Amino acid sequence: MPTHVFETMGTGASIRFAGDLPPAETLTPVEKCFDGFDEQFSLYRSESEISEIARGALTLPLASERFRDMYAEALHWRILTQDSFSPHRPDRVLDLSGLVKAKAMAAAAAELRAADLHDWMLNVGGDLLIDGNREGSPWHVAVVDPDDRRRLLCTFDLDGSRTSLATSGTTERGEHVWRSRATSTYRQVSVVADDIVTADVLATAILAGGQERLDESVESFGVDVIAVDADGSIVATERMRRAHGFAA
Amino acid sequence: MRRRAIVWSVLSSGAVLAVGWQLGAQAAATTGLAETRVSPDASSASVSGGSAATTPSATTPSATTPSATATPAPTTSEAPAAAAPAAPAAVSGTFSGTSVSTRYGSVQVQVVVSNGSITDVVALKLTNDDNRSVSISNRAAPVLRTEVLAAQSATVQGVSGATYTSDAYLTSLQAALDQAGL
Repeated sequence: MPTHVFETMGTGASIRFAGDLPPAETLTPVEKCFDGFDEQFSLYRSESEISEIARGALTLPLASERFRDMYAEALHWRILTQDSFSPHRPDRVLDLSGLVKAKAMAAAAAELRAADLHDWMLNVGGDLLIDGNREGSPWHVAVVDPDDRRRLLCTFDLDGSRTSLATSGTTERGEHVWRSRATSTYRQVSVVADDIVTADVLATAILAGGQERLDESVESFGVDVIAVDADGSIVATERMRRAHGFAA
Repeated sequence: MRRRAIVWSVLSSGAVLAVGWQLGAQAAATTGLAETRVSPDASSASVSGGSAATTPSATTPSATTPSATATPAPTTSEAPAAAAPAAPAAVSGTFSGTSVSTRYGSVQVQVVVSNGSITDVVALKLTNDDNRSVSISNRAAPVLRTEVLAAQSATVQGVSGATYTSDAYLTSLQAALDQAGL
């Protein structure tokens, strides 16, 4: 399958096309789209706007409009998830990385569609966003087994409006998610949603907030969830229980 | 841990009732409150009472919000002391709202008023369809793994995982798929 691989936001990314690989001049703006978010919102880049905020060299009222919009959206999600997702780190550093990657993916998807490119799958650091299908068949995807990353936990199709699959976990890069309280024992949470921002934010929120957040996310947002607990046990919402890899 | 869901339901319902209350004595019947005679003092005071109940949750949602009474209170509403017609004094008493359907089930809120100020908002009823649950039901159930799916990894186009670093990507199944062009 024609695949374009690149590196951005500190991780690997790929766009797979059901049809032919588009020319480089079409794909370059898509990569640049990611780089724009990366340069502005990455705490590991000392010259980024968010690093200036972290140093106190810049204050929020003087930040760019896109920065303030991103912060406002993060606060919006913080309210929706009752604080399980938050841009405020316990060490008082403002961190928008939980939102930025998904926002960049959504922007990149818009770039692809603006270039009249359809039927593709975008994967950035293990978060998936699809468009269309592959010659009439749905995109077939998998969630990795956190106990053995060479193995798959389950496989299923992304189809209809279910375009997005995001996974948050504690297995790589240590405790990636700051847990605000000890209510969650989940090690890995995968969320299927109609848009990548909802999927990614809720995966993070459920990883931090545990079963209560899972139940309320399903109730409020209609997402599907597969979560792996500390003891290796798995819970899944109704539709996900039919995924291949699980006993019926 | 479900207390937070209850708190939010209660606070939102409480806020609705408090706002309805604020509309005045004429509107009291539509809010379903047992007390229909509310003095002007009480209506103005209930505004501050209502905001006091909701403001903390908007800024710092916390499981320790004072009105987080999770257990359904058996108390029935009492007729307020100041129920006499055209009573000029500030209202005191305990008022029960009607049961309101929320996405978490039915909620009934009891408001305690002291000298025209709301001093407490209590959930009287928080039930599911089976009249037992006090929160939303579990939305995910345990599943058991079947045999390892490693052999089928070539049949998928995308693998989702917590791949936060380039190194993690390079050693991921997704990278294998991408490099193999499968």
